[in-house]
Amino acid sequence: MIINGVTIDPTFAEAFPMRGTRVIITAQNLEWAMNSAQAFTGFATSVIACGCEAGIERTLEPHETPDGRPGVSCLIFAMGNKGLAKQVETRAGQCVLTSPTSALFSGLEMDEEGKEIPLGKNLRFFGDGYQISKKINGKRYWRIPVMDGEFLTEENTGVRASVGGGNFLILAESQPQALAACEAAIVEMKKIPNVIMPFPGGVVRSGSKVGSKYKALSASTNDAFCPTLKGQTKSELSPEVESVMEIVIDGLTKEDIDKAMRVGIQAVCDLGAENGIRRISAGNYGGKLGPFHFHLQEIMA
Amino acid sequence: MSALTFTLKAAPAQRVDCSPLTSDKLAELSTADIAALTLVIGNQKQRVDELFDISGDDAAELCFENATDKLDHIGHGLASGSITVNGNAGAYLGQFMTGGQITVNGNSGIYTACEMKGGQIKINGNAGDLVGAARVGYKNGMTGGTVIVTGNTGDRTGDHMRRGMILIEGNAGDYCGSRMVSGTIAILGEVGQHLGYAMKRGTLLLTQAPKQGISANFNDCGSHTLAFLPLMIASFKQLDSKFAELEPFARVQRYAGDISGIGMGEVLVKL
Repeated sequence: MIINGVTIDPTFAEAFPMRGTRVIITAQNLEWAMNSAQAFTGFATSVIACGCEAGIERTLEPHETPDGRPGVSCLIFAMGNKGLAKQVETRAGQCVLTSPTSALFSGLEMDEEGKEIPLGKNLRFFGDGYQISKKINGKRYWRIPVMDGEFLTEENTGVRASVGGGNFLILAESQPQALAACEAAIVEMKKIPNVIMPFPGGVVRSGSKVGSKYKALSASTNDAFCPTLKGQTKSELSPEVESVMEIVIDGLTKEDIDKAMRVGIQAVCDLGAENGIRRISAGNYGGKLGPFHFHLQEIMA
Repeated sequence: MSALTFTLKAAPAQRVDCSPLTSDKLAELSTADIAALTLVIGNQKQRVDELFDISGDDAAELCFENATDKLDHIGHGLASGSITVNGNAGAYLGQFMTGGQITVNGNSGIYTACEMKGGQIKINGNAGDLVGAARVGYKNGMTGGTVIVTGNTGDRTGDHMRRGMILIEGNAGDYCGSRMVSGTIAILGEVGQHLGYAMKRGTLLLTQAPKQGISANFNDCGSHTLAFLPLMIASFKQLDSKFAELEPFARVQRYAGDISGIGMGEVLVKL
């Protein structure tokens, strides 16, 4: 399959089940909501070392938020409910509770299984006995006295079975061209709801393979896609390809990731061969590890 | 199907315990069975059809016509369905109810919503003393649900109240929120003496400052913008009440008390 001179590899991205939730952070203005949201989703690029993958989904107008103030919706994913709960709690405590004028709400209803994790449930103890609970419309909220007034937070947030690790690789003739293509893809992908691209700016340059020559490491650099090793290893790269970058997508459902991949790959292909884009590929582990497969050619069909 | 209607034949001289007449308890019964049920009236027992004319057949939708304030325990332990009372209701309306809805087009007596756990009670009229309170000797009053009173309430509204919400469109009597453990009472009208007497926790939300001032055992915490208020007021929008028309506000003067006790309660007065 070739779109605008860009070859779409007959391969697939392999993704894994994760647990995810959405939180809504509001503040006096968007700037302060964003300050808190950026901290909340900081150091959350990959579950491997960060414990979770998180990102800003989009900004919210005052009429879209529970308290009528400007806000930011964040998605956060982890491998299990327990890990997710721990990450949400510590991040909410250090990055939202602390942020001036902020309030924290759940952005996801309880699912059919009735699974919820604590949001402000345990932050309330920061109130040292002065915290006040209010049940509004069947949801419990906590009012925690803080130095700038009162921190309002919802008690729980719903969790969903989600999908993490959807991805595609952009193979280009130069580093600036690869990055420009990634930037174009991210702009389009950010318009899709229910997904985040957790890496810095949405782009990864250090894709990994499973295993390593070093016993202590379970993953190491994806040498088959490293352009400087073209003559040294069993390379996937043709002579013209000088730089490869990857976009990783986490989403609440497989369909959301499908959509994001489609618009992202389309944006890259729109730049086309004339802008140095050669191929689109994807990372997988032979299909044995992850139950979700995103076939590039099916997505783009 | 039409509402199962109990029309009072004549105003009883003695108090009638109407607790057997709720949607849940009548759902499986035929009209003849219902007519044969006995109610305690004073120190005697009488068949339902001696007291009431029975019409209609939908037990999920009960109706009391010509009701008087001698009809106690209406909606006792109600779990689902609706009860409409045209006329006055007696004491203990909606006691222990866990769900469903009771509407009184008239006044209700003492202990309305006594130890209520869920559901909604609406009094299109006045309610007596001890709305949402605990029985004498018991520690927990209302623990959930919503009570709306379009008129006034008597004394000790929300005595020992633990959770839930009491919305009073008119005035509240003396000792409103006394011994309250938690929950919310909002009042659009005036309040009587000794507001929040021995209150432990919970919120008394007033849209106008009490004429006699705040009691000495509440301390002024200053004026504040509280984020939960617009959220809570927005939740009133779905209610059939003057509270639905309340313009959302967040600015309040906060008073904490009763400081002769643990002092974790609050009186919020709209600014």
